[in-house]
Amino acid sequence: MKFLSLVLALCASVLVGCAHGPQALSAPMPGGETPLPSTQAVASYSLEQHPASLQLAKDEAASPATAGKPEEKAEEKAEDDESDFDYGMEDVPAAEQVTIADPWEPFNRAMFTFNDRLYFWVLKPVAEGYSAVVPEPARVSVGNFFSNLRAPIRFANCLLQAQFIGAATELFRFMLNSTIGLAGLFDPAGGEEINLVRQDEDFGQTLGSYGTGQGFYIVWPLLGPSSPRDTVGMVGDFFSYPLSYLDPWYVWSGVRGYQAINDTSLQIGDYEAIKEAAIDPYLSVRNAYIQYRQKKVEERGATIRRPGPDIPGAGTPARGIGP
Amino acid sequence: MKGKTTMKRLVIALSLLLLVLGAVPVQAATPLETVRTEVNKVLEVLRNKSLKEEAKREKLRVLYNVMFDQEELSRWCLGRNWNKLSEAQRKEFLPLFQQVLEKTYGDRVLAYSDEKIHFDREVPIAKNRVEVQTRVVTTKSKEVPFNYRVFLDKSGTWKVYDVVVENVSLVMNYRSQFNEILAKNDPEELLSILRKKVKGQKT
Repeated sequence: MKFLSLVLALCASVLVGCAHGPQALSAPMPGGETPLPSTQAVASYSLEQHPASLQLAKDEAASPATAGKPEEKAEEKAEDDESDFDYGMEDVPAAEQVTIADPWEPFNRAMFTFNDRLYFWVLKPVAEGYSAVVPEPARVSVGNFFSNLRAPIRFANCLLQAQFIGAATELFRFMLNSTIGLAGLFDPAGGEEINLVRQDEDFGQTLGSYGTGQGFYIVWPLLGPSSPRDTVGMVGDFFSYPLSYLDPWYVWSGVRGYQAINDTSLQIGDYEAIKEAAIDPYLSVRNAYIQYRQKKVEERGATIRRPGPDIPGAGTPARGIGP
Repeated sequence: MKGKTTMKRLVIALSLLLLVLGAVPVQAATPLETVRTEVNKVLEVLRNKSLKEEAKREKLRVLYNVMFDQEELSRWCLGRNWNKLSEAQRKEFLPLFQQVLEKTYGDRVLAYSDEKIHFDREVPIAKNRVEVQTRVVTTKSKEVPFNYRVFLDKSGTWKVYDVVVENVSLVMNYRSQFNEILAKNDPEELLSILRKKVKGQKT
């Protein structure tokens, strides 16, 4: 008990520093909503919603290397003929060819380092202590609880994207999970029987679906990877998240901090793995973030239901479209 | 009498069939079946409680080489930059890069055990290239989409050259890093970064 209160105090103090601002908005949802592990873990506060600006570009075309040096380009071309297969971008889905302008790179790298330290020095130890005290099923339920409270965000954004089935799905999920799911602690609606899958839509994606590009890459302290578009998205979602209206501010900060710790406790190891696998972790996270966000925008409405069952050698529906 | 001739015909037909089958290299299993078999072998190793960690790693390494095509994967990761590497540099790059992947993904995979995997479907990407879509259901009852991109190699086996987790392609992620590094440095520098990384992982 003492330990728990200590933990809470710690997180509150951490949060106070950053209490202003939109960070609140985007809480990643634990339980299930978790998206790209790396990013989320990094900032642990919501990466889901911040997107980065994606600028679609054929990666070769965009890469400064080729752009800058015409002679080299010619040379490469000649060499290309030697190989029997073109490892260029022809077969690669557009979502993965995404690159993003990064004019703030020095600032972003500094923020990346800041978030990295914050994770390893504060968030992770606190989350580990918390996991030691609270068993996993309880933490999953806490995650579900917060996720359920974010239903208004998902509902509103489904509507804004004219995904009426998605909006209805969110509405039914909210009704079921708030009642039989005991105020959202459980997710019966998402179970195999009812199979109403959470629709991870946020305002950044909505803007993306209207054709707004990411713009350029930004790493916010605490909040992690983002872009102008997704930052606006976070602010928009902030206002449709009921917990944003908690008053006074320190209650809100405490809840927000607790949520961050709970989320982190469910994904310890994700960020570490991404960082470990990377040749340059900053570049790796940036790319993962934009790939992830781009795909989210592209496949909107594709996850109304779970993909088909486990059929050996099953058919081959069109790419990116649901069952 | 009649039964006998039918029998005879059947035998002839069967031997003909066998002959034909023998001539054509055994048709590869479907991509999905191939991936399923191999992933199940990996799970078997992970669930084998009698194996020590080192032994598991060793077995996983063998399975990795069966399942993945390191050269194809590396070529995809480097994209056009592959051509900037000399023959000798490529030779050094392949095992170095494999070690980086083995270490990190080995750690990650070893942490798994109770996950359930659904093998959903195959989606064609291009000629002889298919994406096998699976979902990993973790103990936290979270579903992670986990897709394997496979191609038909020269021996007629489906080999993995890219893994797409939560919609993030591993190959494209490395490509973005290699592109940026090779835009400012020569391949020798990239190799030395990799060497350092592998060394750091060992200690």
